[in-house]
Amino acid sequence: MKKELLPKISRRSFLKTSAGITAASGLTVLPMAKKAHGATSGGLATLIDLSLCDGCVDWEMPACVSSCKTINKDVIPEPVNPIPQPWPRKTIEDWSKKKDVFNRLTPYNYLYVQKADVETEDGKRTVFIPRRCMHCDNPACATICPFSANHKMKNGAVVIDYDLCFGGAKCRTVCPWAIPQRQSGVGVYLQVLPDFMGNGVMYKCDLCHERLAEGKLPGCVEACPRKALLIGPHREIFALAEERAKQMNGYIYGKTENGGTSTLYVSPVSFDLINKALIKKPGEPDMKPDVQRRMVKTDGPGRIVLASPILGAAAGLIGAFKWFSRGKGGTKGGEKDND
Amino acid sequence: MTEKIWEEKGLVVRHNFLELLEHWAIALSGFVLIITGLFQMPLANRYYISSLPGLAWSGDFIISLNVHYAASAIFVAAAFFHVIYHGILGERGMLPQKGDLKTSITVVKSFFGKGEEPPFHKYLPEQRLAYIGMIFIIAMLIISGLVKTYKNIYAPDLSEGIVFLATWVHITFFILFVLAFIGHMAAIILKPNRPMVRAIFTGSVRLDYARHRHPLWVAELEGGRKIPATVEPAVEEISEETVEAETVKTSTEPEMLLQKKADLQEADESEDLYAETQEEDVGGTDKTSD
Repeated sequence: MKKELLPKISRRSFLKTSAGITAASGLTVLPMAKKAHGATSGGLATLIDLSLCDGCVDWEMPACVSSCKTINKDVIPEPVNPIPQPWPRKTIEDWSKKKDVFNRLTPYNYLYVQKADVETEDGKRTVFIPRRCMHCDNPACATICPFSANHKMKNGAVVIDYDLCFGGAKCRTVCPWAIPQRQSGVGVYLQVLPDFMGNGVMYKCDLCHERLAEGKLPGCVEACPRKALLIGPHREIFALAEERAKQMNGYIYGKTENGGTSTLYVSPVSFDLINKALIKKPGEPDMKPDVQRRMVKTDGPGRIVLASPILGAAAGLIGAFKWFSRGKGGTKGGEKDND
Repeated sequence: MTEKIWEEKGLVVRHNFLELLEHWAIALSGFVLIITGLFQMPLANRYYISSLPGLAWSGDFIISLNVHYAASAIFVAAAFFHVIYHGILGERGMLPQKGDLKTSITVVKSFFGKGEEPPFHKYLPEQRLAYIGMIFIIAMLIISGLVKTYKNIYAPDLSEGIVFLATWVHITFFILFVLAFIGHMAAIILKPNRPMVRAIFTGSVRLDYARHRHPLWVAELEGGRKIPATVEPAVEEISEETVEAETVKTSTEPEMLLQKKADLQEADESEDLYAETQEEDVGGTDKTSD
């Protein structure tokens, strides 16, 4: 049974998509992207099957987390000492002495496994949930970044450019799950005005973007001993998620949440119950079903902005036409006044 | 067009209502854009701006972005209207002319007491240069802003290069826009320019000011009629002098201008005093016109 469910999405088909996406130049994006919020339907998606994940309970650290930590161990340079105190709000977030923490998201830990003891109709059930960035279809964290230090790639990965990020944490504020984590005392802000601008660098899962480019799988997907994590072409992963949910009479999370994401959780237990059972703290996100994409409220005004050149130009044309049609009389009148 | 000499009131109409509307639409929406643009940085929370009464919204990126969008719609529409409307009407008074750069240097020097200003048309040469500079800055802000808006709504995965370029063009020209705004304000602090300020509120400048500082413009408005240069001389004598003033600019004219300017500056303090001089002027000009 388990084998049947396992990768239809082979490494080969995944690589094919990856190559196809790489080959697609910027020019092909525009027509493809016309459908709002569905911009990345040609990219990659991941599936996290909660019926398979056992949290690697017998391991010292879950395999996916361990792999992620190993891959990203050298991402953050040693913070300056002392870390400059920002002015006037004095928030400093320093995890450099707690690099080993793996039971929540930190700048040194982009993936952790949540444990939820859910009260179901059939009794108590423990669910393990690997949590990391959802790589949303229209990620507010990326579009709203004031320096474009965070960007949605064509393969679907939402990637922060750590050399460009000022650590303002705007991305964390707009993320429904507050995923990005800040490390103060590192990054480009130190070269500008560290006391007055910026406060470090934001870190989060980048879907192993660089490994994908090399044709490798993300560390977590590769390391999972139970194949609870899969990656593949968006369409195929979505179809597989539907299929599995149907088979287990279960639920999907991430399909509509925050306007759609490219991470689909499949669970035999409802996410409403899981969310209720979860401990919610900074770095330990909730799983609220149907969480709204807050940026949706800015789409209408944004569309008016996009129409405003046409509106302005049309008004100019009409105005000029009117001026010419009554211009002669008007000018004569003006001349008369002067005479 | 709508520019005209309003002799009874001692005024010259410099801008019509539509032009004032365009200016203030750009100016006010531009101001809101600067402020809400800064809120995107994000600095409202860090600098406790969002803790100020009535400014709690400044820390909410969704609200401040919507305010930014609302102001953008006005800004962009007004800019497009301006270029299309005045372009079709063929109004070129604000476009730079040959020699503007050189003349501008002379004018700026004169502000600091070195040398004298040449006679002006409707706009000062540096106004024309500043205008084209501002057009360029605004155009870059609009283009990059539209790309960013399009990306936000439809194409978050737009080519990274394009998004990066749009963002940094937007930031760079934002800084230039603020500098240009400061320069624009600094220009009206200069005393010789102050009589022009009323035009952007009321549409008109004083006729006596225009005669002294913008004789080429007044000459055009009068359609080749004689310019009554001063009030004192008798009508018969004036005609010869003004013809010269119109064409050659005699060596005595700058002196007269300076004299008049000094008078104006003295009078600057009191509006009532102006009303009197204007009435006198009107009387004089009426005579000469007739």
